[in-house]
Amino acid sequence: MIAIDYIIVFVFLLVMFYMGIIFYRWVGSSDDFYLAGRQLTPFILAAVIAATNVNLYSFVGQAGIAYKEGIPIIWQTWTGNMALVISGLFVIPIFRRLRIRTIPEFLEKRYSKGVRTFVAILWIFRLSFWLGVVLYTAVIASQTISGYDSFTAWVLIFSVVVILYTILGGMWSVAFTDVIQFVLMLGSSLILLPLVMSAVGWWPGLTEKLPEGALTLIKNTGTYDWKFIIAIFLLGIEWACVDQGLLQRAFGSENTRSAAKGLVLAGIITTPFALLWILPGLAARILFPDLANADSAVPLLITSLIPNAVLGLVVVGLLSSQLSTISGNLNGVATIFASDVYENVINRKATDKDILKVARLITFIVGIGMILFAYLVPVLGGAVNAYLTIIAIMDMPLFVIAVIYGLLWKRINWQGAIGGYIAGAISGIIGQFFYGLNFNLTTFITAGTALIITPIISLMTKEESNTQINAIWKARIISDEEILNNNVYNIIPKTTKGKLSLLVFATGLILFLIGVFMGSKGSPFASYLAVGGMIIYFIGGLFRTYTN
Amino acid sequence: MYFDWITWTIWLIGFIILIIWIFIPAREFKKLVMKKRSEEKNKGQTK
Repeated sequence: MIAIDYIIVFVFLLVMFYMGIIFYRWVGSSDDFYLAGRQLTPFILAAVIAATNVNLYSFVGQAGIAYKEGIPIIWQTWTGNMALVISGLFVIPIFRRLRIRTIPEFLEKRYSKGVRTFVAILWIFRLSFWLGVVLYTAVIASQTISGYDSFTAWVLIFSVVVILYTILGGMWSVAFTDVIQFVLMLGSSLILLPLVMSAVGWWPGLTEKLPEGALTLIKNTGTYDWKFIIAIFLLGIEWACVDQGLLQRAFGSENTRSAAKGLVLAGIITTPFALLWILPGLAARILFPDLANADSAVPLLITSLIPNAVLGLVVVGLLSSQLSTISGNLNGVATIFASDVYENVINRKATDKDILKVARLITFIVGIGMILFAYLVPVLGGAVNAYLTIIAIMDMPLFVIAVIYGLLWKRINWQGAIGGYIAGAISGIIGQFFYGLNFNLTTFITAGTALIITPIISLMTKEESNTQINAIWKARIISDEEILNNNVYNIIPKTTKGKLSLLVFATGLILFLIGVFMGSKGSPFASYLAVGGMIIYFIGGLFRTYTN
Repeated sequence: MYFDWITWTIWLIGFIILIIWIFIPAREFKKLVMKKRSEEKNKGQTK
């Protein structure tokens, strides 16, 4: 990088900070800080979710895996996008109708205050750790691109501005900067793609020079085989239905239908975007075949192919991907602490002003925690493994108790929920750390354990019945807000167009699954069927949000 | 000169998304800013 590149980066950081100052005036209540006053529109929401979803883990971690193992890692993003559609059509509308701010808040409505506090505390640590992973990958990439090796200096460059603008403007500045950052990261990826493809001799060069099977989307053996696709799809559904960092934006949507549209659109726009970091990862295999650290593949491509001055713009795009993820999750942790722990347990008589102050203070403290966790990531075996370990162990049981049993079976009580969650997490820890299971198996084991233990404990203990559970069951159908605003979104469609779109969506899903299972037999048509099914699925999902 | 349809199709889809997501969110944000301004104005008049 030369002086002009550093100036571009500096100006970008300055603009982001200035946004924080502007939006500081917009934050008059805790709802403004957490949820942008529940005014986010579908396209803003889609950009915000996409910006949070795409980060340097995509450009560094996933591209690095593509370098080593070939294209199948793209399913991590693609199935995540498919999961966003499921969440947008069937789950988020219920949460949005309940006007909750956090997933633990839903757990109190559904089970008990104890479950809320328990999960909230666990999630504060889980999100803080994830933030550390995000920061760590940003630093590694920046070291490679700039040639400037100081870990601490990069940590500070990434942290200071994002912590400040999140403290000042809360979700308002997170939303606005996320939209700018989404455009910047997509723009910089569009600069990179043709340069990389021309360097390897375009598509024919790529297919000729890559090792056999590197472009096979569904493999029948190896770490990233068809079982990986199923496991990561299940994890994706869990992520899209219970991840606070992601869903908080949807809770901030202007109404139920906008929440559904925002999630579906986010899934659709991130799908072609994934090719913009996976293809460079594959091309790096041809251009730099003997890299000791695959994570440095895309950063190396950038430094060797992008001319100075343009390099600054591309770095700004990469920085954007990271800042949006950090700001969103920082805001998420602050919301969980201020809403689920401070307001709910520590100071029940807190005024809105007190809560706002605490939320800002917690954003600062979690920012410091994120920096400390970033130093721990290499000790735990690299960014990717650390992230996958955490989500596999802690998220799947939460999905089981919150969504599967929380929304589908009234008989499940708080004892069952807590027991199922702990049993699921412990089974994951034993599997990972004592038996060295891979994350595919850990996913199935944690989900299976929670699925079995939760109803057993519930059926052995007293049945609960309260008006809040009835309110949740009512939210599965409709809300007063929708009736009042004459903008009803029916989860089960009422019109022919709505039913037809749901049929298209379901057909796409079935074709996708058939494609994946055909991949297990090594069929040459498997990839075409799975990708075709995915596209049909997206089309059906999109039309569903525009029909009734 | 060779024209790579696959790469440029992917690029074009990305570019279309880029253009849409520059203009529509900008319009939506503009509406939100106007709404906020009128809210602040009303607050001032009430005081």
